[in-house]
Amino acid sequence: MSLSSEVRQMARAWRWTRRPLPPKSAEPHHTFPEPREFPTEWARSKPARVAREAILRGGLTPLVNRETAIEIDGLDIFDDLDGPVIIVANHTSHLDTALLLTTLPTKWQRRVTVGAAADYFFDAWWRAIGSALVFATFPIERHGQGLSDTPAKLLEDGWSIVMFPEGTRSPDGWTRRFRPGASALAKAHGVPIVPVGISGSYAAMPRGRNWPKPGRPPIQVRYGRPIRPLEDENTLALNGRVADAIGALLDEAKTDWYTAQRRAAAGETPPSSGPAVASWRRVWESSAGPELTADRPKAWR
Amino acid sequence: MSRPGFVLTVDERTPPLLMHSGESFKLQQFPLGTRVVYPPESLPGLPDLDEAIEHALLQPLDSEPLPALLRAGMKLTIAFDDLSLPLPPMKKPDIRQRILEHVLQHAADAGVDDVELIVATALHRRMTAAEIKAVVGERVFRSFWPDLLYNFDAEDRANLAHLGTTDTGEDVEISKRAAESDLLVYVNVNLVAMDGGWKSTAIGLASYNSLRHHHNAHTMIHSRSFMDPRHSELHSSAWRMGRLINEHVKVFQIETTLNNDAFPSQYGFLTKREWEWSLKDQALFIGAKHGLDILPAKQRRKIFQSMEAPYAVTGVNAGAVEPVHHATLEKVHQQQLVEVNGQTDVLVMGLPYLCPYNVNSVMNPILAACLGLGYLFNMYRGKPLVREGGVLIIDHPVPWEFSTLHHPSYVDFFDEVLAESTDPKVIGPKFEQQYATDPWYTHLYRTSHAYHGVHPFYMWYWCAHALDHLGQVIWVGGDRRAVARMGMRTASTFADALELARDTVGSSPTITYQHAPPHILSDVR
Amino acid sequence: MISALEVYRSLPRYVAARAIGPRVPGLLAGPLAPLRLVHRDGPRSPGNGWVRVRPRLSGICGSDLATLSGHTSLYFTPLVSMPFVPGHEVVGETRDDAPGIPAGSRVVIDPVLGCEARGLTPCEACARGQNNRCDRITVGHLSPGLQTGYCRDTGGGWSGELVAHVSQLHVVPDDLADNRAVLIEPLACAVHIARRAALHDGGSALVVGAGAVGLFTALALRELTPAGHVTVVAKHQRQADLARKFGATDVVSPSEVATAVRRSTRALRLEPERGPAYLLGGVDVAIDAVGSRGSVDTALRTVRAGGRVVLGGVPGDGIDLTPAWFRELDIAGAYASAGDAFEVATRLAATAPLDDLIGVAYPLSRWREALDHAHDAGRLGTLKVAFDLRSAA
Repeated sequence: MSLSSEVRQMARAWRWTRRPLPPKSAEPHHTFPEPREFPTEWARSKPARVAREAILRGGLTPLVNRETAIEIDGLDIFDDLDGPVIIVANHTSHLDTALLLTTLPTKWQRRVTVGAAADYFFDAWWRAIGSALVFATFPIERHGQGLSDTPAKLLEDGWSIVMFPEGTRSPDGWTRRFRPGASALAKAHGVPIVPVGISGSYAAMPRGRNWPKPGRPPIQVRYGRPIRPLEDENTLALNGRVADAIGALLDEAKTDWYTAQRRAAAGETPPSSGPAVASWRRVWESSAGPELTADRPKAWR
Repeated sequence: MSRPGFVLTVDERTPPLLMHSGESFKLQQFPLGTRVVYPPESLPGLPDLDEAIEHALLQPLDSEPLPALLRAGMKLTIAFDDLSLPLPPMKKPDIRQRILEHVLQHAADAGVDDVELIVATALHRRMTAAEIKAVVGERVFRSFWPDLLYNFDAEDRANLAHLGTTDTGEDVEISKRAAESDLLVYVNVNLVAMDGGWKSTAIGLASYNSLRHHHNAHTMIHSRSFMDPRHSELHSSAWRMGRLINEHVKVFQIETTLNNDAFPSQYGFLTKREWEWSLKDQALFIGAKHGLDILPAKQRRKIFQSMEAPYAVTGVNAGAVEPVHHATLEKVHQQQLVEVNGQTDVLVMGLPYLCPYNVNSVMNPILAACLGLGYLFNMYRGKPLVREGGVLIIDHPVPWEFSTLHHPSYVDFFDEVLAESTDPKVIGPKFEQQYATDPWYTHLYRTSHAYHGVHPFYMWYWCAHALDHLGQVIWVGGDRRAVARMGMRTASTFADALELARDTVGSSPTITYQHAPPHILSDVR
Repeated sequence: MISALEVYRSLPRYVAARAIGPRVPGLLAGPLAPLRLVHRDGPRSPGNGWVRVRPRLSGICGSDLATLSGHTSLYFTPLVSMPFVPGHEVVGETRDDAPGIPAGSRVVIDPVLGCEARGLTPCEACARGQNNRCDRITVGHLSPGLQTGYCRDTGGGWSGELVAHVSQLHVVPDDLADNRAVLIEPLACAVHIARRAALHDGGSALVVGAGAVGLFTALALRELTPAGHVTVVAKHQRQADLARKFGATDVVSPSEVATAVRRSTRALRLEPERGPAYLLGGVDVAIDAVGSRGSVDTALRTVRAGGRVVLGGVPGDGIDLTPAWFRELDIAGAYASAGDAFEVATRLAATAPLDDLIGVAYPLSRWREALDHAHDAGRLGTLKVAFDLRSAA
């Protein structure tokens, strides 16, 4: 057989560029190879950073602003921070990552990476490369035991990390259980957690859509006060404080800052996981979206 | 953890499978439904080999510890397997070297002066000094070669001892030195299940006079198979002889078993399951295959013959022959045994470049036949993998090529004997004696590096069971004249071979591909 | 007027044929052949006892080809007279009456021109009936010429007519066809070779070469001697088949000779640093039926010590005679035939399986094709190529 036809035969038989597939009868005897972590160091190199900044400035930020009406709140908290933080947000839409990246102050924007589900964002090379370049993602194994050592290394190198502790986008716009991974990381490395509440991204672009609804749907991104792990606090407790903080930020979007603070102090913040009612009602309510603060001058829109 | 062997059923997802074909290999697409027998993956080697050897020597099975058997003034003979084992030759240090060094250390400690080392070649060719050195290592070689470390010579009448005959009248005639020693230590490499046990001494150190009783067509047809000592007439005979030897000399047997790491790492794809080949494996395959194919034959042979297997040792057992061999076989089975349900109509195998008798030499047509019909066909327990009257398809180029240095009598056997008859039962009585006593072959066997004159007969007897059992043998890609001389047929492709097989097994036969090497012992239920 | 093919002296052709011929054998039958077709009167009778013979079939012998390609030893130059008409394997018809042989008889010719034919008192050899050993082949009333077919005065078989002395004639039985009769002369030579082999009972023989001479020698060995194992070296398949048919025990290819002889005689084999392997031990008699350096070497190297090597062809030059000295070999030449060889050959020609041996018979006018065919006869599966002169008459 000639070399070229043999290579062609191999390409077909071994399904180059596609998933490996053992013969059916070999499945019981097959050990699927341990996935190697997709290498993302390159995405944090100087040229990639320059490219990313150009993409964010010139492409993504104008695009997000054109398609949605964003209200940003609490960016002043970054004034008092230096060194890496872990930014933790609720997660309802693919928009969330873009929203966080485009709203961060420039200095932080340049040194932030996003933990992304390895099994989704890193299972195909083209998606992995794309997201790593644009969003500076690194893979997180959501079904595995614990985190790899990549986030720790990132923190040590001075990179901040964006994580969505729910592990996946909410199916109905309300929050799900917060996993303690981000808190554990913060505790282990002594870095503060910045809670972020994102409201309206579910209404703007829920699961199943790949483009925001027409008509510039309103979205609020609220950065809360940084939460520092305490000496005698365990991971779960820290995780609870983070969840509460995000709950309060979401409550604030529905009410106002003072009401939300009072309810939080009284422990009366309505659960961000939503009311225990029929699922259609949960979807119905969250797909309404927040109302924008009314008195913003028209010219700003 | 190494995974067990298993039987694959070829489906649409199965990539083409690797097949050896002499000094090359290829990817062969098999029909859907073909069963493929895969060997178990390599067992892990012993973590501390030196400790394992010492343990075996000091706590032997059914025997006093080795140091207790050694004393000053005694006559000690150590015999060991020749270069037909293991295949491919083992990366240095050879396991025999490791063991010999331990045994000799004990002998030195005990003050034994009269020590001789014999390569148990039987009727195989004499090993060269370099080959022996590679097996025993520098220290042993320097201390003993050439007067006290030498090849066994089965034609040296003065140094053979006739120990008597067994109950069934078989002559037992072995090395005089070995027979008259106070202790005979045998160091073996038990690559496959037919090796070792009493076969080591009763065959490895025996003369033609003794070997002719079991190395004949009748015995081989009734060794079903000779890879299964309990059902092997050959082994029964060797055991009878061994027990007689045991009455004359104390035998301390040291047996070793190896795992399946038969190929160096750059040929790792040869031992990997194809669907698990990484891109790198695929690239290595393409590179190796096409690189080798364009090389001149001489260079290609050199590259193949210089391969050294990174075998790991999985077991060392020492003591009395029979219990030791029992333990050894268990290890061999653990590494090679694969359960297969039911026989097949068509058995397919690809022959590699090497068999026990062409190390550093040429695989001539007789050796190719012996490797396929003798060795690989017999790698079963219970029933043969292929049904009686079935078809065997072998992939090998069968070049009409002989080494006149190593196989002079093969040339004549091929030209004269096979031209007259290919039936082992016919050629034995008619020609064997003539070849066994031909002075020229004897001379070359004793002074050059030639296999004994009678050896090609043994190769053909090795095929006797398969020839008796099979309905047809088809060689894919074989030299037409050479294959015709052996009374078999050729096909240019595997598909053509299946087409030819239809005459014998009908249009939709069951097909089984024996994915060896590394070795597989099929346990056919 | 008759047609005749005539060999003439041409130094350039001789040199060119020697130099280029082996590489471009096609030229040997073409422009390089020192041969021409002439039309002229038949040869005149040299005297009493000579008759005119009109050839019917005339074979092409290996020695003829050697002559044409310039590969004959210069030793022969005083023994021939130019220009001559080749052809000494002849079956023909007499045109004159002779004692006991009326005109029109079918005869074969013993080509040797001994004392009787030359009108001389028989020399010692001729007196014993060994014409082939005659010492007077250059004198008498004929031009020099060892045989019919090499002598200017007698004409030869490759023509419409020749003259032959009555002592050369052997009448062919009526029931023997021409294409068998034309083989009588080579058969007679083979008979002579077989006799020269002097084999003892059951002795082993090796015949190197399976052209007409080799095969007929194998036949003669089997028919006339008590030979045991007869091995024939044959290059081509048809030759191998015929050798077996003619009684060879074993047929081997040239590359396997030493191996096969070693095997059948259980000899020991040695490999010199250069040159072919040889045996210590071997056959009792080795017969060279080719006449090349290689074939004689083979014979010398595979015969046992004290054995005999029979040279059935004109040996080539450059032969290493060391084995003859070291192994104390008897070397026996076998030239033409002697005694009653023709009678024996005639008997063999009648009984042996010789049908189809004359592959093709060409008319004289197609002599180039005929010679080209003869040069390659073995490979083309032909044993003997002949000229057919019957229609020309």
